[in-house]
Amino acid sequence: MSVAESPSLREQVTLIELVDRVLSTGVVLTGDLTLAVADVDLVYVGLRVLLASVATLESGQEGTTP
Amino acid sequence: MTATAAGTLWYAYAVVGPVDDDVRAAVGGELELIGSGEAAVVAGPVDESEFGEGALGARLNDRDWLEQAVQAHERIVQRLLAVATVVPLRFGSIHRDRQGVEQFLDSRRPEFAAALARLRGRVELGMKVWLEQEPEAPPSRGATGREYLERQRAERDRRAGATAALEDRLRAIHERLLAAADAGVLNRPQARELSGDPRRMLMNAAYLVPTEHDVFLAEVEHLRREHPQLALDVTGPWAPYNFTELPER
Repeated sequence: MSVAESPSLREQVTLIELVDRVLSTGVVLTGDLTLAVADVDLVYVGLRVLLASVATLESGQEGTTP
Repeated sequence: MTATAAGTLWYAYAVVGPVDDDVRAAVGGELELIGSGEAAVVAGPVDESEFGEGALGARLNDRDWLEQAVQAHERIVQRLLAVATVVPLRFGSIHRDRQGVEQFLDSRRPEFAAALARLRGRVELGMKVWLEQEPEAPPSRGATGREYLERQRAERDRRAGATAALEDRLRAIHERLLAAADAGVLNRPQARELSGDPRRMLMNAAYLVPTEHDVFLAEVEHLRREHPQLALDVTGPWAPYNFTELPER
């Protein structure tokens, strides 16, 4: 099973797709509380770290039974 | 209508319209329709401890929290998309009270009405184009110094040519999809570290298409056959996140 096909990595790709959409598109509400740009950057930093560790884990498991 | 309880904030998901029985049924019990007629905000109460200023920033770095929060957000948006035209709001659109939500809608009612009219009967499809295989470099076994340098230069030239050819292909793909859609936008391809996919992402696009979009999907199939070295991945349908302000075509 290739890295791109493994279920948890596919879930990651799907999560990123969703996060990208709801966090960086859609109408911005200039209301009482709005997500600061800095907060969004922090999200991507956090996700990058997690994805890197998942990718490493997946490649290490190639050829083993899931 | 009771006043907003202490520690409760109002989280706004989307603007929908027109408000009819299907919309009311989709909104259900735990959410509220604020507004009526041609446009209303779908909002719901959330806890200040989770979504308040300061708290939200910290929660966003909790992957588990983020995953369930965006999925909960999207479940509601998808429910609405099934029965109405949806102008999705960005994640984290929060007001202190119901009145704030009303004021937000009232101050932008004409724009929302116009957006709802533009987006009626339409959904968004995501398109990601991946390079399945990096072009192979020829092996350099037993090369002399001069042969090695010549090979390096040839490889550089080949890569530059390959890049230009690839860009032409991507441009052509976008033009063809644009012709099969009502509108389209190109976004930045995601970095490999972020997407987690080992393949190279060449194009990250979104297209506005009718709810019934067989024509667009047929075009995608044609393009897949024409470009076997590329992977064309369609996602969605999504609410028109990328088209809340329609770009010029």
